[in-house]
Amino acid sequence: MAAQLLPLELIDRSVGKKIWVIMKGDKELVGTLKGIDEFVNMVLEDVTEYEVTSAGKTKKQLKQILLNGNNVALLVHGRTPEDNESEAA
Amino acid sequence: MAETAAETPQAKRSPSDFIKQVIGLPVVVKLNSGTEYHGILSCLDGFMNIALEQADEIVDGKKEQHYNECFLRGNNVLYLSAAS
Repeated sequence: MAAQLLPLELIDRSVGKKIWVIMKGDKELVGTLKGIDEFVNMVLEDVTEYEVTSAGKTKKQLKQILLNGNNVALLVHGRTPEDNESEAA
Repeated sequence: MAETAAETPQAKRSPSDFIKQVIGLPVVVKLNSGTEYHGILSCLDGFMNIALEQADEIVDGKKEQHYNECFLRGNNVLYLSAAS
């Protein structure tokens, strides 16, 4: 039988690497994952915050953040929203 | 063997380590509503309840209020950023 892999172990493998975080609502963040806890709160570095508003898509750069895990919906390793857009083009 | 990795730039930094590191520094707190608070972090806890000093409240990019001291309840917090 294949060894079990817990969800948090999977995220632990992404520590030190770039990660794409999709939040509930129209927010996404891309940054280097420095650490994570059992609530999926995350420390991210060199972050780009994407926000989809009625005025369009806004980008914002942040050096280092502690992200609240409460509104996290999805974590993607090894891809960014920009990759997605170039695929669509 | 002694743990010496804590201060290297590549070290894993968990949320609790980050909390210890940013106390007393200027920070930006963004709430789920989009409102930002720029101030000096006096303390925070595991719920992300936050006490700020000399805080500016910024709504839609415009400064609305100034508080000498204020408390933010953790459930509203989207992120806490070390101000660059």
